[in-house]
Amino acid sequence: MSTPTDTGSDTLLDVGVDGNLRRYLRGLSGLAIFLLVWWVGALTTQPSYLVPGPVDAARAFAELFTTSTRIAAPLAGLELVLPTGLAHLTQTLFHYIPGLLLGAVCGSSLGLVMGWNGVLDDWLRPLIRVLRPIPPLAWIVFAIVWFGIHHTGAAFIVFVGAFWINFYAAYGGVEGVSSELTDAASTLGVERDLSMLKLVALPSAAPQLLTGFRTSIGRCWMIVVGAELFGAPGVGYEIINAANNLAMETSVAYMFLISLAFLTMDVGFRLLERRVLAWR
Amino acid sequence: MALSEPAPDPVKSDRKIVVDGVSKAYDTVQALSEVSLAVQEGEFCCIVGPSGCGKTTLLRTIAGLEDANSGSILVDGDRVTGPGLDRGMVFQEYALFPWRTVCGNIRFGLDRPACDCVDCEQRIRELVNLVGLSGFEDAYPKELSGGMKQRVGIARALAVDPEILLLDEPFGSVDARTRDRLHDELLDIWAETQQTVVFVTHDIDEAVKLADRIVVLDDDPGTVQSTVTVDIDHPRKRTSHEFVEYVARIRDELGRPSDANQRNNNF
Repeated sequence: MSTPTDTGSDTLLDVGVDGNLRRYLRGLSGLAIFLLVWWVGALTTQPSYLVPGPVDAARAFAELFTTSTRIAAPLAGLELVLPTGLAHLTQTLFHYIPGLLLGAVCGSSLGLVMGWNGVLDDWLRPLIRVLRPIPPLAWIVFAIVWFGIHHTGAAFIVFVGAFWINFYAAYGGVEGVSSELTDAASTLGVERDLSMLKLVALPSAAPQLLTGFRTSIGRCWMIVVGAELFGAPGVGYEIINAANNLAMETSVAYMFLISLAFLTMDVGFRLLERRVLAWR
Repeated sequence: MALSEPAPDPVKSDRKIVVDGVSKAYDTVQALSEVSLAVQEGEFCCIVGPSGCGKTTLLRTIAGLEDANSGSILVDGDRVTGPGLDRGMVFQEYALFPWRTVCGNIRFGLDRPACDCVDCEQRIRELVNLVGLSGFEDAYPKELSGGMKQRVGIARALAVDPEILLLDEPFGSVDARTRDRLHDELLDIWAETQQTVVFVTHDIDEAVKLADRIVVLDDDPGTVQSTVTVDIDHPRKRTSHEFVEYVARIRDELGRPSDANQRNNNF
């Protein structure tokens, strides 16, 4: 790409642009090869429901937006009519969002306070050691007997998942607060523990808190689909529902819908993160 | 050239800070052993000593960030039990709040309920000008050079208008030219605010450049080796005969083996 005679910044810039283009093309090629393998695999596999082909899946995906479905909004008692895909996505969000937010707030609050207060840490650490390894989905039995497997039950499972991820992010974040900064704050008049937590520990732990929240966005999508496989309404339920009717291409369509929803949230949150953490 | 001073009398009222027989040990290391000294109101006092002689510990104890194992620290006759707004501190590694801008850092102490400034915005503007950071009000610490960071550190400590300014090797990580400029600026600020300054350094030149009086600490364990009053008019030139003589004298003091009798006669 460069001859021994041409030197200087222009050449370097060319390499940079070409390098980006090349990476972009490689990515596209990877996708194209995957589609080809998938397509050939689907063509040569019988019976056809074992591997639904990309064309069938695309048609099923389009159908999610050309048909409409009526869903009930919880609490408000309203009925909504939306394109089928969006309708079931909305059903999922009805328990995903409250579970995620509540879990994140509770988890990071406990993490902050425990990381800050040694006495509370002593009290709770063994308990948390015992409870932490329980996979969120194992709580499904209690979600069912306590709340019934509907929005509340599924939200509870998501809550458990979000809780632990955010708890550990906050706990680690507070532990990493430099003593120099707390020293500086105390020479500037910060006396109470609560003020120190608010003015120094919280902003100092913000990067870890946000990373924790972003991780929980993804993890909770896994958990929410798991919860819905047990019967809560939403995209996860539709995956298994379609499969029960051997409409595997519809299952695939919902799988891609989840991927899309997750990517959108992740990218959105990354942008927010970059703004909030401009000081880093 | 005054060679030494008599022992401080803790009850005399123009003594702003009195360190009285302070000892401090960490695990097995004796950081400070029976250190006594006094700093006059409005005085610029430098504490010099080899690395690990406990000079930072001494400063942190005066700031109230460390408790002494024995002995006491008095400020205006009152025993120090913790940090207070009467003692501003400037840290070696700046200790700026990275999520706050230059102005945000300076205003940190003013946001406390203790603040009674009539117009905080005006005060912050004045401080930004005082330390020469106009135009960088909204910059984050990561965007600043070491010298600029320490200017913010100084302005932040000055914001709450402390009577005492404690500086812990503040210019240790800035280049020599910037350090010279910061010395002049610090002396200007001191002349203006008339604060009592305690400045810790291991750099003898720096101490002779700045101080009214230099306290030489000896290591292992940290004890006061001697104190030297620097009697040269400002601005002091490093190349002047007197300057060089003071530097040589303090270097001698540092090299001299510590001796309990000499200490008692000379601190």
